[in-house]
Parts: sequence; C-alpha cells; structure tokens
Amino acid sequence: MSASASTLRRRLAKPVQYVLLALVALIPLFPLYWLLISAMKTPAEFSQIPPTWFPSTPTLEPTVTALTAVPFLQSMMNSVIIAGGATISVLVTSILAGYVFAKHQFPGRDALFWGIIATMFLPPIVTIVPLYYLVSSMGLSDTYLGVLLPWLANAFGIFLMRQFIQDIPDELIEAARMDGAGEFRIVWQFVVPLLKPAIVTLAVFMFVYAWNNFLWPLSILKSEALYPVVLTLNRLMSYTMSFEYQNVVLAGAVIASLPTLLVFLVTQRVFVAGIAASGVKG
Amino acid sequence: MIVIGVFTVIPMLMTIWISLNKWSMFTSITDMTFVGLDNYTRLLGDASRMQAITNTGIYVGLSVLITIPLALLIALLLYFPKLKGKGVVRTLLFATYVIPTIAIVIIWGNIYSPGYGPLSALVSAIGLTPPGWLSDPQWALVSLVIFNVWQMLGYYVILLIAGLTQINEELYEAARIDGAGRIRQTWSITIPLLRPSLIFVVLMTFVNSIQVFDPIYLLTQGGPANSTNVVGFEIQRSAFQYGMAGESSALAVSLFLMIVAVGGVLGIIMKGRKR
Repeated sequence: MSASASTLRRRLAKPVQYVLLALVALIPLFPLYWLLISAMKTPAEFSQIPPTWFPSTPTLEPTVTALTAVPFLQSMMNSVIIAGGATISVLVTSILAGYVFAKHQFPGRDALFWGIIATMFLPPIVTIVPLYYLVSSMGLSDTYLGVLLPWLANAFGIFLMRQFIQDIPDELIEAARMDGAGEFRIVWQFVVPLLKPAIVTLAVFMFVYAWNNFLWPLSILKSEALYPVVLTLNRLMSYTMSFEYQNVVLAGAVIASLPTLLVFLVTQRVFVAGIAASGVKG
Repeated sequence: MIVIGVFTVIPMLMTIWISLNKWSMFTSITDMTFVGLDNYTRLLGDASRMQAITNTGIYVGLSVLITIPLALLIALLLYFPKLKGKGVVRTLLFATYVIPTIAIVIIWGNIYSPGYGPLSALVSAIGLTPPGWLSDPQWALVSLVIFNVWQMLGYYVILLIAGLTQINEELYEAARIDGAGRIRQTWSITIPLLRPSLIFVVLMTFVNSIQVFDPIYLLTQGGPANSTNVVGFEIQRSAFQYGMAGESSALAVSLFLMIVAVGGVLGIIMKGRKR
C-alpha cells in the first residue's frame, strides 16, 4: 500500500512540477502580455468593461501616436548618451580601481575597500538634497554632465571587478611586468581580455541602471530637450488623463522598455551568471 | 574613488549637517541657520511624516515576508528537478528587473485599474467584490508591495540559485542513504547551508524596499489619505516641492540610521554563522 502510494507520488511528481513551472512562468509573462495587447487595442476596445483578453483588431496606432505626441526619439538619444556615458566611465573606473584593490598592497587598502562597499548600501535618496546642491553649484544642473557626474564610478562595479581580478594569477601580472609593461598596459593587454564576463555583466548592469533611473534626472533636469526616456514617458503619462488614451501610454512603456530588454536578452547568459557570481562571492 | 568620495561621502556628511539647520532649498545656502535637533523634534511631532515612517516599515516588512519564501520556493523548483524550459523561465523572471520602473508602473496601474483592469475582472469572476486597489487606503500599500515583489523577484531567485549551486551534492546523497525525504533534506541541509545567501537576499530586499520612491511618486503621490506616503517619497517631496531641506535631511538621516541598524544586525548574523 505504502509502496504503491510512493510510486504513484513519484509518477505524479513530474507533471506537478511542470504545472508549477508554468505557473511561475506566468508571473512575469502575464503582465508583459497584458502590456503588449493593451498597447495594440483601439481606444474603444481599450475602455471596455470587462476588459477583453485578446485585441479584436490589433493596431499600431497607439505606438505611432506615442512617438509623435512627445519627442520620444530625441529622448532615446538622450538616454543613450547618458546611459552609454555612465557605462563606459564605470567600466574604466571599476577596472582600474578593482585592479588596484586586487593586486596592489598599500596601507589601509582593505578598510578603504570595505568603506567603498558600504556606500553600495547607501540609498541615493538619502543624499539627494546635497547632491542636487553640489551639482547645481558647479553650474551643471540641467546638463548631460550633471546627470552623469554621480554615475561616473560605482561601488558595485569596483567590487565586481576586484572579485574577478583577484582570480587572475599573480604570476601572469609578474611576467608582464618583467617584460617591461607599464601598469596601464598590463591592465589593458593582460587583465581586460580575461575579464570579458565581468565586463559584460557590469556594462549591462550599469546601462540598465542609468537608463531606468528616474529620481536623479527628475531632480536635476529641467529642459525637456534633455529628458531621458523615463522622464518623457512620465510626461506622456501626465498628458493623458482620459482613460481611453492610456493605450498610448502603454505603447510608450513598450518603446521605453525595448532597449534594456534587448540588451538583457542578447547578453542574458553571461549577465545572469555574472550577477549570480556577484552574490556568491559577496 | 574620488568620484565616490565627492558624490557619496561628502553629500552624506552634508545631509547630516543640513538636518541640523533650517534652510529653504529655494534660497541660497548662506541663508542656512543652525537650529540643532529642532528638525528631529519637529519630525516626531509631525503626524504625516511619522506615518511615512510607519508605512515604510509595513512596506519593507511585507516585501521581505512575501519575497523571501516565494523566491526560495521558486529557486528550489528551478534548481533541483530536471525540467525542460527552466532556463527560459529563469530568464523571464529576471527580465522584469531590467524594465524601467515607470514602464512597470504603467503596466500595473492598468492591471489594477478598477473595472477596466484584468485583476478586478478576475476577482469578480470568482464571485468576490474587487477592492479599489490603489485608490483604496486599505489596499494601496499592499498593492504597491505586490508591484515591488513582481519587479524584484527574478533578481533574488538568481541570487538564491547561485547560493544553491554552492551546496555540495554529496550531502544530499548521504541524506538520501540515511532515508531523509525531500522535505527533510530541504529543512536540514538546504536551508541551513543557504543561510548566507538568504541573509544577503533579506538585506538586499530590505535596502531596496526601504528607499522606494518611483512607484509612489508615479502612482499615488503618497495618497489616498496618506496611506502610501513613505520616507523616500517624503524626503524628495519635502525638499524639492516644499523646499524644506532641513526637515527633509532629518528624515534622510533617520532612514540612514535605520539601514545602518538593520544592516549591522544582519551583517553580524551573517559573520557569526560563517565561523
């Protein structure tokens, strides 16, 4: 009796697990599905009660309206400049600082390193007021540079790079030094090629962070011409109070999410592994 | 490093200094006057700001309580059984982490919308009366917690799966020989050995949810009836809308101290378990 019950349980285990897996898949999929179909509904269908679960006449009109109602393409460019600039800068500063922390001895090194790591847990909201004051007193409020300034270096990046560079054998660096390579050449020629997974991880992480960040550009930017996509989307959201045009806002949300989603999907294998490694090594 | 110094450490010290002064953001910083702990006593007497602190506590507590068990169960499902397609599911879960919060706000604003939204339709379909979600003071904060869990879940699942890969397979083998079942193995091997990862994830959930700003600003502006006013939102609003930099900074310092306290406790637990 008990033996047959346990074989029955074993035979049932797989299907049950697949059902659970499907349910878990629905957690991210359903809202994203809802976003896509809502962005393709006509205003009339969109404001129906109860809602329809599939658009009867799918249309791209909301997308076109979103693109023309606000300067979306200009904002895309702004976001690319801001997120791209932050990414490049963070890569350079993190690799250099990570290298120094991993491969050089100097007094107070570890204390300094853990001090930097501690700033990782300091939420930006806590320092937003003085940060705003500092950047605007430099005359940089309402400029690309002003948005970029606090994002030029990043504690997570330094942490990640140090962990990965520590795994590079000292002999390799010693050998390069024997050959008369300077420190910058060592980093560029010998360390960087071994860091590809870490570089991809950090680049995607920083790009997504800067692209999606809302609080800081909201606080420091005034002119719409400089708005990144997230702020323009906010503008679009506040234009359309009437419910039947919310489909335009949803179409805007699709447009704004595509770049980060694409970057993520292209790099996901390396990126997910890198994020996982950052957790384990911490 | 200089950048981090200039844009993190100095602002933190300035936050503390401003919190001891009275300064309107709309005037020059030279008009700042020293008032000692005035801003803090004012904070204690301000019902709306105190409620922001309570709301933040509820928001953080619920986020941790829902996220951790859910993320752990999903991580176990995605790690142990051999299932086709679990890699895809993992990627899908993580995808919500890279979408801009404002886009997620738009999605969930729509899902929550009474009448037009699918959630109310679903609840009605099983014969219940749907609440007003974001417009109902009793439900608004909970709705925002669900939103937060949805956005961050994939990230924590990845971290927990990474932790699971560190547990030696042989331990399970030995337990199986001793006749320990799946559930027994989970309780006496997986969870104790996963403790460092679990504590790390609790810490991340805590730090991420205590600073919540975007969804509050975008969806509710602290309403209805102050029910979703949280510290992060109140800091930004006090300073950038009302110009009360001193009060805002007092709140920011309080937030900082809460993080240091909880982070310290979790850090000690984590260190203690490692030895």
